[in-house]
Amino acid sequence: MRTAAVIRNTFRQAVRDRVLYVLFFFGILTIGSGAVIGPLSLGEAPKISKDLALAAISIFGVLTAILIGTRLVYEEIEKKTVYLIVPKPIKRWQFLLGKYLGLMCVLALILLAMTVVLVLYVYLSEGKFQFCLLQAVLLTFFELAVVTAVATFFSTFATPVGSGIFTFAVFFVGHVTRDLRALGEISDSVAVKLFASFAYYVLPNLSNFNIRGEVVHGVSVPWSQLVYAMSYGLMYAVILLVASVLAFQRRDF
Amino acid sequence: MDVVLRTDSLTKIYKSPIAQRRVKAVDSLSIEVCRGEIFGFLGPNGAGKTTAIKMLTTLLSPTSGKASILGKPLSDMSLKSRIGFLPEQPYFYPYLSGAELLDFCAQIFGIPSAERRKKIEGLLRIVGLQESGKRRVSTYSKGMLQRIGLAQAMVNDPEFVILDEPLTGLDPVGRKDIRDVILGMKERGSTVFFSSHILPDVEMICDRVGILIGGRLISVGKLDELLSGDVESIEVTAEGLPGSELEQMEQRSQRILVSGDRAMIEVNSPDRAGEVQRAILGCGGRIVSVIPRKKTLEELFIKEIGAHREEKP
Repeated sequence: MRTAAVIRNTFRQAVRDRVLYVLFFFGILTIGSGAVIGPLSLGEAPKISKDLALAAISIFGVLTAILIGTRLVYEEIEKKTVYLIVPKPIKRWQFLLGKYLGLMCVLALILLAMTVVLVLYVYLSEGKFQFCLLQAVLLTFFELAVVTAVATFFSTFATPVGSGIFTFAVFFVGHVTRDLRALGEISDSVAVKLFASFAYYVLPNLSNFNIRGEVVHGVSVPWSQLVYAMSYGLMYAVILLVASVLAFQRRDF
Repeated sequence: MDVVLRTDSLTKIYKSPIAQRRVKAVDSLSIEVCRGEIFGFLGPNGAGKTTAIKMLTTLLSPTSGKASILGKPLSDMSLKSRIGFLPEQPYFYPYLSGAELLDFCAQIFGIPSAERRKKIEGLLRIVGLQESGKRRVSTYSKGMLQRIGLAQAMVNDPEFVILDEPLTGLDPVGRKDIRDVILGMKERGSTVFFSSHILPDVEMICDRVGILIGGRLISVGKLDELLSGDVESIEVTAEGLPGSELEQMEQRSQRILVSGDRAMIEVNSPDRAGEVQRAILGCGGRIVSVIPRKKTLEELFIKEIGAHREEKP
C-alpha cells in the first residue's frame, strides 16, 4: 500500500507535468509525418513510415524517461519533499521503487497511446496490421525500463542536468556496444580495448531491444529472442535499482 | 514521569572532505521529554536545532550517541507510525491539493480509504482550511502552508509530534492560529517537541524548554523554574513631577525614561518603589501605574547567549 501510494503520487506528478504533453504531441506529430516523408522514398513508403513511427515511439519514450526520470529523486531531495516522506513509516527502498514504478506506469501509458496511433495509421494506410510491430513496441518498453533505471540511479546523487547527460551517454553508447567491442578487438590501443570492454560488459546492451529492422519488413522475431531481451532488461533494471537503493539508503538529508 | 523522548550524548559532526574541517553541529545532546508536555527547543539561528531534529526523524544519522522515542530506537520502523513531523519551511508537492496531500500522507501511514476521507475533513477543519482543501498547495499562503503542514503531522494521530520552527515567518494572527493548533495537539494527548526562536510564543504555550547554543544544551527546565517567580524590577509611572525631583530620583532608581510630562522610574526593590511613590506624592505629582516586572524568557535567552559568548570568545 505504501509503495502504491508513491506510485500513484509519481504518476499524478508526471501527468500534471506539461513536459509530458509536449513530448507526446511531438511523438504523435512524428508518427504522422510518415504520411509526408513516406511517399518521397520511391516505393519504400510503408517501410519508411513504420520505421519512422517505431523510432518516434522509442525516442520520445526515452526523452520522457530521461527528462522526468532524472528529476525523479533529485527534486524530492532538492525541494525537501523527502523530509515529509523519510520520517514516515515507509522504507527508503519502497519509496524509490514507488518512484520508479510510477514513472514506468506513465511510460506504459504513453507507449500505449502512441501504439494506438501507430496501429490506426498503419491500418488506414495499408488496410491491414502486422502484429509483429507490437513486438518492437514491447521491447521498447523494456528498453525504457533500463533507461529509467539508469536515470533513477543517477538521480539519487547527481543534478538533473548531470543525470541527463550521463543517462543520454549511457543510452547512446548502449546502442553501439557491439560495434565498440569489435573496434576494441581490432585496435592496438590498450585504452581503446579497455573502454570497449567496459562499455560492452558494464553498460547495457540496448541494441538487444532494437528489432525495428526486422519487423518493418513484416518479419516476426522468435519469442525466445524476445524473452531473452525482456529478461536481460528486467535483470539490468533490477541491478540498477538495487544500486540506487544502496546509494539512497546511506544518504543524509 | 513517562519519558517519551530520551537522547543520550547525541552528536553530529559534519566533515568537509576538501577543507578537512570538522563542524560539531550538535554536541552531546542529552535531553528528556515527558508524556503530555509541550517542550520548546530554543536556540539562535545555527544553534543546531534543525540538525538535532533531523537526527530524531532519521533524516540524518548521528555521528555518536543514541536516542529513543516512546521507548524504541529511532531505527524501529513501527515507531514512525506513532510520530508526526513538520519540517522547517515545509515544501509540499505543488501539483497536489491540500486534501490530496493529506490523503497521500495517510496512505503512507497505511490508513484504510474508508477512514481517510473522514479524517482529512476533520484535519482540514482543525487547521482552518476546510474551504481551501481542494485548492492546489502551490496557491497557498505561508500561513496556509504551515497549517497544512501541521495537518499532515497529525494525520496518524501521533503520540509524539516534532515541529521544526512552526511559527517562523507568520504574522501575529497566523502565530496565534498555530499556537492554538499546538495546544489542541496537547489536549488530544500528544506530546509536542518544537523548535523556535519566537520566545513570547514559546513562553505562552511551553511547559518546559531547553536552550541550545553552539550545539550544546545550555539550560533545560520548567519555565517557572528557569524564569523564577521573583520580581526583577518595578516600574513606577508618574505625571507632573518637577525637574528638581526627577534629578533626585535618578539617584534612587535604576533608570528613568521621560516623555513630555510623564516619567517612568524603574527601581529594583519594593522598598525603593515605596520611597519613590511617597516622593512623587510629596512633591505634588500623580502616580499613573506601578508595574512589577518578572524575568522574561527573552532576557534569560539573551543572558545565556551572552554567557556562552564570554566562555568562547
